[in-house]
Amino acid sequence: MAILKTENITMKFGGITAVSDFTMELEKNKIIGLIGPNGAGKTTAFNVITGVYKPTSGHIFYNKENITGIKPHNITKLGIARTFQNIRLFKELSVLENVLIANHLRLKSNPFSAVVNTPNYVRQEKHMIEKSLALLEEVDLIDVKDEKSFSLPYGYQRRLEIARALATEPKVLLLDEPAAGMNPQESNQLMEFIIKIRDKFDLSIFMIEHHMQVVMGVCEKIYVLDHGITIAQGTPHEIQNNPRVIEAYLGVE
Amino acid sequence: MKKKKIILSLIAIILFFSLLFILNSVFNSHQTRILRLCGIYVVLALSLNLINGFTGQFSLGTAGFMAIGAYTSAILTMPPAQKASAYYLEPIVPWLADIEMSFLPALIIAGLISALIGFIVAAPVLRLRDDYLAIATLGFSEIIRVVITNLQNITNGSLGLKGLPNYTNVWWSWGVAVVCIIFMALLINSSYGRALKAIREDEIAAEAMGINLFRNKLFAFTVSSFMAGVGGALLGHLMGTIDPLMFRFTLTYNILLIVVVGGIGSITGSVISGVIVTVAMEALRIVDGNIDLGFMVIKGIPGMRMVIFSILLMVIILFFRRGIMGTNEFSWKWILESKLFKKRKEVA
Amino acid sequence: MEIKEFLQHLVNGISLGSLYALLAIGYTLVYGILRLINFAHGDIFMISTYAGFYLMSSAILPWWIAFLLAIILTCILGILVEKAAYRPLRDAPRISLLISSIGMSYLIENLAIVFFGGRPKTFPIPAIFDRIITIGSVKIPTLSFIIPVITIIILAILLHIVHNTKTGMAMRAVSTDYEAARLMAIDVNKIITFTFAVGSTLAAVGGIMWGMKYPSLIPLMGVMPGIKCFIAAVVGGIGNIRGAVLGGFILGLGEIMLVAFMPALSGYRDAFAFILLIFILLAKPTGLMGKNLAEKV
Repeated sequence: MAILKTENITMKFGGITAVSDFTMELEKNKIIGLIGPNGAGKTTAFNVITGVYKPTSGHIFYNKENITGIKPHNITKLGIARTFQNIRLFKELSVLENVLIANHLRLKSNPFSAVVNTPNYVRQEKHMIEKSLALLEEVDLIDVKDEKSFSLPYGYQRRLEIARALATEPKVLLLDEPAAGMNPQESNQLMEFIIKIRDKFDLSIFMIEHHMQVVMGVCEKIYVLDHGITIAQGTPHEIQNNPRVIEAYLGVE
Repeated sequence: MKKKKIILSLIAIILFFSLLFILNSVFNSHQTRILRLCGIYVVLALSLNLINGFTGQFSLGTAGFMAIGAYTSAILTMPPAQKASAYYLEPIVPWLADIEMSFLPALIIAGLISALIGFIVAAPVLRLRDDYLAIATLGFSEIIRVVITNLQNITNGSLGLKGLPNYTNVWWSWGVAVVCIIFMALLINSSYGRALKAIREDEIAAEAMGINLFRNKLFAFTVSSFMAGVGGALLGHLMGTIDPLMFRFTLTYNILLIVVVGGIGSITGSVISGVIVTVAMEALRIVDGNIDLGFMVIKGIPGMRMVIFSILLMVIILFFRRGIMGTNEFSWKWILESKLFKKRKEVA
Repeated sequence: MEIKEFLQHLVNGISLGSLYALLAIGYTLVYGILRLINFAHGDIFMISTYAGFYLMSSAILPWWIAFLLAIILTCILGILVEKAAYRPLRDAPRISLLISSIGMSYLIENLAIVFFGGRPKTFPIPAIFDRIITIGSVKIPTLSFIIPVITIIILAILLHIVHNTKTGMAMRAVSTDYEAARLMAIDVNKIITFTFAVGSTLAAVGGIMWGMKYPSLIPLMGVMPGIKCFIAAVVGGIGNIRGAVLGGFILGLGEIMLVAFMPALSGYRDAFAFILLIFILLAKPTGLMGKNLAEKV
């Protein structure tokens, strides 16, 4: 069964069509990929799915529920979390705080109970901290939990972004170029990491990636965008041998 | 550790109020007045810091909310006979003419009405892009003055109100300040406070983490308006006289100066700087008058004080952008581990 | 209301609108490039009226030299403000830049109070501008014609510079994409200086005409027109020169007509701009002629 599905989503900005008729399906517990040259509309597709933009036309379904046009924070609440291509951590805040913030959406309380420390709030806060620490342990960031997040090395920042997304308790995870800027060895670790969290947290993952090694290594299905249009879809093997994909990447004179 | 912190904080508060008691009895009336002003400015700085420093929404409406608070509390506490004589151009509306209540309920109502108006204003304005908020709130604050000037039978218009009961003693001023400090410290360190800070750091990421931007901003704005209203009421009952001109946007700039000097996004900074700047503002009054050095008299230049203050604001923002504290806070952990200083107030 | 009265209000509204337009352009240019609300702009406008006042009062200079000098001095002030308060913060968070502009505004106002005094001064109007012409039974001061005409001439020059010169093209480039313009070897600092010079010059021209139309000068006189003209720029679509002019005229005419048709609300004249702002932004967040400035995710 498809956990996440889009039907013919089109996104226009003024006269420019960034994404056109994009249809995809993510099966439960699968990892699928979205590739394409720069400016192909991959991130725009993510932004439409996560509610940052409302599509000009088309629909998005999550567990058969139509979620088109729902606000980003509510989409996250439903169980779709994401990371960002250009890393958007809460820079001045500590690693632990970054993860704690992602727990906020599951908090059932109100600011005044929080200020007067009602037992109910205190219990939930304690639970949030325990959960966050366990998560940081899981992703090997426990040693830097009190560092400000901007001071972390690049690879750690990427991992923290994923950890933060995981803290929202998602069922679907959208990763926007998780391997950007990584060397082959780091990319290998990342691939293992992605598969590990998929199994551990019962996730379905949709990722944008440029590193072919990563995409071909972990994705079971790949969609290829070029100028907003889906030019190919299929298994890694099919994609590798698809003449249109090769053309889009290498260009034809 | 947590229990220890609470005990330490309680001791600190008791020590602080003992100090206030001593200062209050040894200071002359001018000095206690400054002491009272300090408490009020701490409240106002915290109000502005909550929305600007912690939530990252640049609001410049403090003076307007202060005006609402000051007028509300003045009208609620002035004796009916005094109101009858003050409103000589046009009598006060009947439903307000006979109200007279004590300070605490008046103060709370002043805060609530400011908060309500803040809520109504924020709902449309907060949907706008961030820097339009600065203009919209600044403009709103001026509109409040226009409205107050024109509502002759409620506010007494441009005549203002004189002879407000002189309620704001050291205990009211600093009592409210300490409550605000504790409230802010607890709020900012709670999950809700973290949500506000997340919005300040990166709105798009905060939203992607499931934080409802609009609701959280609205909350911060409303609470900030409440505090500004209470601060305004305290100021009114300290001055004894209020009029629409007192609540010009320049008043907001003075509070902004305190927040910037203390550190945008630091409670500790706002408290320290609230005291320092208020005392310095008063001390610098000498440059406005003549300075007698014994052998010669330097002629004072009226208005020089505010020039010095605006230069100070520029120097801080250009060269010491983080202010005294940056976004750091005082904490007992820090004190216990460093054992260098002993400070009196603040809650860990 | 008689047609005669209406015409007088209309002429009044157009000249006020022209003055707002001149001031609004300065906001829109600076915002377009630095994404900064230049709070000091209204105070630069104020300084130009005082400069005109003092140079005219000296009574040695012919009026046109006095005005020209006042405009040049204001232009220099605008450039200095940018160099002192904004240039050092080029890489700082936007909130610091905003506070710096508030600080600059506050500083200029307080200096004005110290040096010019708080008491109102009366702007000396050269005799040539102080005439009244009568059309039928309608009496209109010549100034009400001169202001829109000068505004239109200046506007034409400005649009020519922005659209047909190399500097203008660079201005548009910096405004569209600051970083890319820098990479294209455009001297961004030079363009910013030029922008402030243009904005301040327009503010000065507006300021001097304002002084002749509303001759009572006080140190805080720039604040309200300043805020309103930023609003005019937003209403028209920030970053867009034609939009700023449109916004200026809507605001000027709106205010005058509000007072004319609803005298009971005349006390609320200053509130008009803000209510307009909120309505326009809720209906069309980018302003009447604005482009989308959405943040890249």
